[in-house]
Amino acid sequence: MDKIFRVARNEYLNVVRTKAFLFSVFLMPVLMFGAIGVQAYLQDKVDVDDRTFAVVDGTGALFTSIERAARARNEAATKDGKQTRSYFTPVRADGDTAALSDQVRKGKIFAYIRIPQDAIERTGEIAYHSQSPTYRDLAKWIQQVLVSEIRKQRIAAAGLDPALVRRLNERPMLRSYGLAERTESGGVKKAQRVNQAQTYMIPVAAMFLLFMLVMTSAPLLLNNVLEEKMQRIAEILVSSVSPFELFLGKLVGMVFVSWTLSILYLGGVAFLAHRFGFSSAIPPSLYAWFLFFQLLALFIFGSIFSAFGAAASEIRDAQSMMMPAMILVMMPMFVMGPVLNNPNSGFAVAVSLIPFATPFLLLLRIAIPPGPATWEIVAGVAGSMAFTLMIVWVASRIFRVGILAQGQTPSFRKMLAWVVSK
Amino acid sequence: MTAIRLEGVSKRFGAHQAVDDLSMVVERGSIFGFIGPNGSGKSTTLRMILHILHADAGVIEVLGESGRRAANDRVGYLPEERGLYRKMTVRRVLAYYGGLKGMSARRAGEAADRWLAKLELSEWSKKKVETLSKGMQQKVQFIATVIADPELVILDEPFSGLDPVNLEVLREVILELRRKGTTVIFSTHDMTKAQEMSDSICMIFRGQKVLDGTIDEIQASYGADTVRLRIDGGLKSLGSLDGIDAMRDFGQFQEVRTERDPQELLRALLDIGAVHHFEVTQPSLHDIFVRIAGPAAEELARG
Repeated sequence: MDKIFRVARNEYLNVVRTKAFLFSVFLMPVLMFGAIGVQAYLQDKVDVDDRTFAVVDGTGALFTSIERAARARNEAATKDGKQTRSYFTPVRADGDTAALSDQVRKGKIFAYIRIPQDAIERTGEIAYHSQSPTYRDLAKWIQQVLVSEIRKQRIAAAGLDPALVRRLNERPMLRSYGLAERTESGGVKKAQRVNQAQTYMIPVAAMFLLFMLVMTSAPLLLNNVLEEKMQRIAEILVSSVSPFELFLGKLVGMVFVSWTLSILYLGGVAFLAHRFGFSSAIPPSLYAWFLFFQLLALFIFGSIFSAFGAAASEIRDAQSMMMPAMILVMMPMFVMGPVLNNPNSGFAVAVSLIPFATPFLLLLRIAIPPGPATWEIVAGVAGSMAFTLMIVWVASRIFRVGILAQGQTPSFRKMLAWVVSK
Repeated sequence: MTAIRLEGVSKRFGAHQAVDDLSMVVERGSIFGFIGPNGSGKSTTLRMILHILHADAGVIEVLGESGRRAANDRVGYLPEERGLYRKMTVRRVLAYYGGLKGMSARRAGEAADRWLAKLELSEWSKKKVETLSKGMQQKVQFIATVIADPELVILDEPFSGLDPVNLEVLREVILELRRKGTTVIFSTHDMTKAQEMSDSICMIFRGQKVLDGTIDEIQASYGADTVRLRIDGGLKSLGSLDGIDAMRDFGQFQEVRTERDPQELLRALLDIGAVHHFEVTQPSLHDIFVRIAGPAAEELARG
């Protein structure tokens, strides 16, 4: 026991003391939240190319409105004398599509649209032509301008009061509530509004964070074990500790590294939740579940990766062995959508009871109120723990032989033979 | 008092019988040479003594313990292929290895400082291992082996790859360990080294013991039938002589084994040419090994 702790401590300090670790502490939130922000920012700020487009206005009644809308947009796109978005500039054109297409090709104009003669009276197609089909901003903007302008002209033509039409068009709002509850005094407690953050954001964020933590921590073990093997450190180690103690020590060390990260992040979440008043949306038990399932997931995947690291004799082999394990880690992510959509369906129950997926999917389901039935939690946790013990045992057997074996990387069949060997 | 006792130990890897019914005894406080050509089962035997490998059959008793790994904390081990954590500092690596042998962090740290000072590495204590030269890393590896003050030190091919300076350092460390009463067992394919340093030896060939005992006993039992000489013309001039059982050319001198009376041989040699050196001696371990294992082993033994 003491030696397992010593190995774990060394593993822990070796990782935590590196600059790479410090970097990764900040990197993960940046990846999770920053990427979205950066993308949103870049999309708006970076692309300031002006786009001139030709309008073939068959109705003869829409171009002026498009021009006015463009002017308004361009003015709004200038802040403090600095251009923040693309300017859109419409020009009037006749219907020669071949000539207009040539102009697009030459870069004189960015796109052209063709509005048919009867566009106001009849709902038909308005064609948008460009050679940059992935750029959607202009098309979307034109669509929006035309919809509102055509609607306005139709209302006027029908002699209706625009204010009346707006009132008639108002949409009723559908709101989601939970169930009413009977109180002990015999009264009825009113149902709570369903909190979108709680039903979607929190479960998804919890599972995603767990996934990221497992993906960053478990493969560390593979490199780490492989390095000890290739640098011929392993033999000295196993002359002092048994291979099983070494294996377990490494696993425990890695769990603590990963827990350090999650405690930092969960602490941050708890702080923000408290600060911005949504702490009631995250029950304290969820933090505990998170740490528990993290432990299980890390033991399962950490064992697999250590065994592969021990069996492989070069990085390339280790990486190709890693692929199947990676698919197992990612499987819960693939089924996240359907489970989220109907967390108590037979499918959701079944996949969350697959032992290697349980840590992720049961966490997800527990995070969605009201949570799964007690028996499901008990069965899931028990099954997953039994599986964890089994995989730790199998992996430690492979580790024991692999760590000292030099030469060719074994096949999966050979590794199975190691498991049962004396 | 015995430090190690093996009785009928065997180990097989697939179709290859690595060690075959090996029995041997290592006395406490002695330097024990475990010799044999490469691939004869030395490393496998040492690993079994450490319980890194499990014997298929036989009894292994180390420092009075026959349970698995029971004695390992009292044993220091230097494997043939040896590495260190490249990214750790020298002192931390040593303290870690000491800790794995059950030392407290403080004691391990102190022992590391003491040894580093002794081998003139103190200024490197806080440096990362990867910044050390190969020779310095070798010294750190010796320290890692002995840091926990083991009663038994097992060195697998300790002399291979050492530069002359470190060879001397290691020799001194081994002799000093013996003075303190530590048992040292080392394997080598270099018979000369074994002869120089060990009190007793065990010779192993193709997994089987072919010879063991103290150096004196072994040599005495083979008698003084070896003559070391240097004559004009070298080995070629010896071709015409009768009664020569074996000849070996060392370049500067030649060794012959003979049943003839040495004085008579000398007379015969003088007839052939000028004799610059003539010495009646005991056979070397190498020669004894070749005599036992047969000429086929000659090639292997040189490797």
